[in-house]
Amino acid sequence: MGAIEQVAAGDAAAIPAIEARRVSRSFGAKQALREVSLAVMPGRIHALLGPNGAGKTTLLRILTGLTGPDTGEVRVLGSGAGDLMSREARRSIGLVPSGDRTFYMRLSGLENLRFFARMHGLSKNEAVARSWEVLHDVGLEDAARQVMGTYSHGMQKRLSVARALLMSPPILFVDEATHDLDPQAARRVQELVRAARDRGTAVMWATQRIDEIRGFADRVTVLREGTVRFEGSVPQLMAVTIARRYLVHLHGEGDVLAVAGAALEDLGGVALSSDADGEHFIVALREEVVLGRAVAALDAAGLSVLTCREERSEIEAAFLFLTEEGAATDREEGR
Amino acid sequence: MSTAGIREPSVGRLAVVRAESAKLSAFLRRDFLVAWSYRLSFVTDWASMIVQVIVFNFVGKIVRVDAVGTFGGSQPTYMEYVAVGIAISSFMAVGLGRVYSVIRQEQLQGTLESLLLTPTAYTTIQMGSVVYDLVYVPVRTFIFLGLTTVVFGTSFNWSGLGPTLAILLVFIPFVWGLGVLAAAWTLTFKRGTGVIGIVTTFVTIGAGTYFPTSVLPSWAEEVFRFSPVTIALKAAREALLGTAGWADTLPSILVLVPCAIVSLSVGVFAFRQALERERRRGTLGLY
Repeated sequence: MGAIEQVAAGDAAAIPAIEARRVSRSFGAKQALREVSLAVMPGRIHALLGPNGAGKTTLLRILTGLTGPDTGEVRVLGSGAGDLMSREARRSIGLVPSGDRTFYMRLSGLENLRFFARMHGLSKNEAVARSWEVLHDVGLEDAARQVMGTYSHGMQKRLSVARALLMSPPILFVDEATHDLDPQAARRVQELVRAARDRGTAVMWATQRIDEIRGFADRVTVLREGTVRFEGSVPQLMAVTIARRYLVHLHGEGDVLAVAGAALEDLGGVALSSDADGEHFIVALREEVVLGRAVAALDAAGLSVLTCREERSEIEAAFLFLTEEGAATDREEGR
Repeated sequence: MSTAGIREPSVGRLAVVRAESAKLSAFLRRDFLVAWSYRLSFVTDWASMIVQVIVFNFVGKIVRVDAVGTFGGSQPTYMEYVAVGIAISSFMAVGLGRVYSVIRQEQLQGTLESLLLTPTAYTTIQMGSVVYDLVYVPVRTFIFLGLTTVVFGTSFNWSGLGPTLAILLVFIPFVWGLGVLAAAWTLTFKRGTGVIGIVTTFVTIGAGTYFPTSVLPSWAEEVFRFSPVTIALKAAREALLGTAGWADTLPSILVLVPCAIVSLSVGVFAFRQALERERRRGTLGLY
């Protein structure tokens, strides 16, 4: 069931804060988005997950009105006109862009916020007061009068969040906010966004860092090459994983791959692939197969299991399945 | 989906205009703080102005007194002649040069998109981008004229200041329109700043900023005679160096008004179209 249908089937009174219906967009010969539909309800974080070039930023730019779609419809707060260039729509939207080049680097953080607050229509006094409030919220009070050019990357990102929250918008778009942030700074940004969500803000969080969506996002849309590959909750995303993957270092006589393959064959639900050096192998186990049994089978076949570690998280495996392996399937099927 | 710029229902339009006007002071503060952060550029700007005055003073010493012609029967010195030329052309530099370069700068530093995400009208962004210059340049010009008066004894007909300001009132929108048109060009084609610089220099010189147009080849003199810049400069000189009053200045103003209307209308239309085109294409952030 697609996002739109789910909304329709759910609370009839609930109006999605953000809604995209069959949005397509191409740049020259490249199809950046292909009939993408999704809906984000108020008070929810919707992760937009995909590798580089999947179309995340293009979708965000369309949803914020910075780029127009070729076809399809975008609605903000159920606005019938769907006019993203209206004053009201712009007041309703906060954007944390992916780049740093969105501030006046010769001005202080406070002056930047004050300026953008004025652009949102606040009076001088309101702009100053509100700027201090959001600076406090993002923990930049002490650096408020510091010139932006001296801010670290993490501080700039926090200021970007502060600017997006200046008008407490009901809709927040966050594009790769934690990209190249250290874990502490990334967590801080997530906390700020989570707090906005708790106040009822609908958040669209575009990322390629899949591990950050667990326990954070309420729903996920996985994009690959402009196409929606998955739409659902995080647990549902994890459920589509075909296997847990382990990197094992085996030692034994003869053709280790052949021996290991024969040993694991009886277990069923196990796939084995060789690494380049002939000693490291990827063992992929389906849900029903216990790792201990696989290791025991290898041991019984005379192979020494020197090391064994999970190669990727389940969620990452699901992500890769939907983006990389799915792509391979598409290629094989000539899609 | 609509593709137009910010639109408001007709009800409350006056309130919107008031709210948009209030934003101009924020632009002024922003650009003052940015300019002040480059304190050295302030110093060099004033230093270059002083050097310019000194150079033209010496040039004036080797120029025949009657070389620049008479204005309302008065014979100005070369220094007086060129001082008015520089003063008027500085407004042209703001209108023609600064409008597009500021928009370009916003695009380069990525703040144009941030601005467009706020409920701010395109016109406010255009006006706000040069409001600092519109305050700074007249102050600078006034000090420039004062400096030449005090140090080099130039003499101006200060009663002609009113008509001159009236000329500027229609001249600035004219060059502003051209500047906005140039901004639309650079938004669309990402290049062309060099051409705009050359055109500005050409028009400035051709209008007779530094020497009378009579020394130009006759065909060039004929071409530049109809330039609104030439007309504005000539009228300002008649008022500040001669004895021209309101009645004498009125014909020039009447010529400049339609020029300003056409220039501004075409410029604003082209700029909005360029912004919308870039937005539709998704290339607003490209430069």
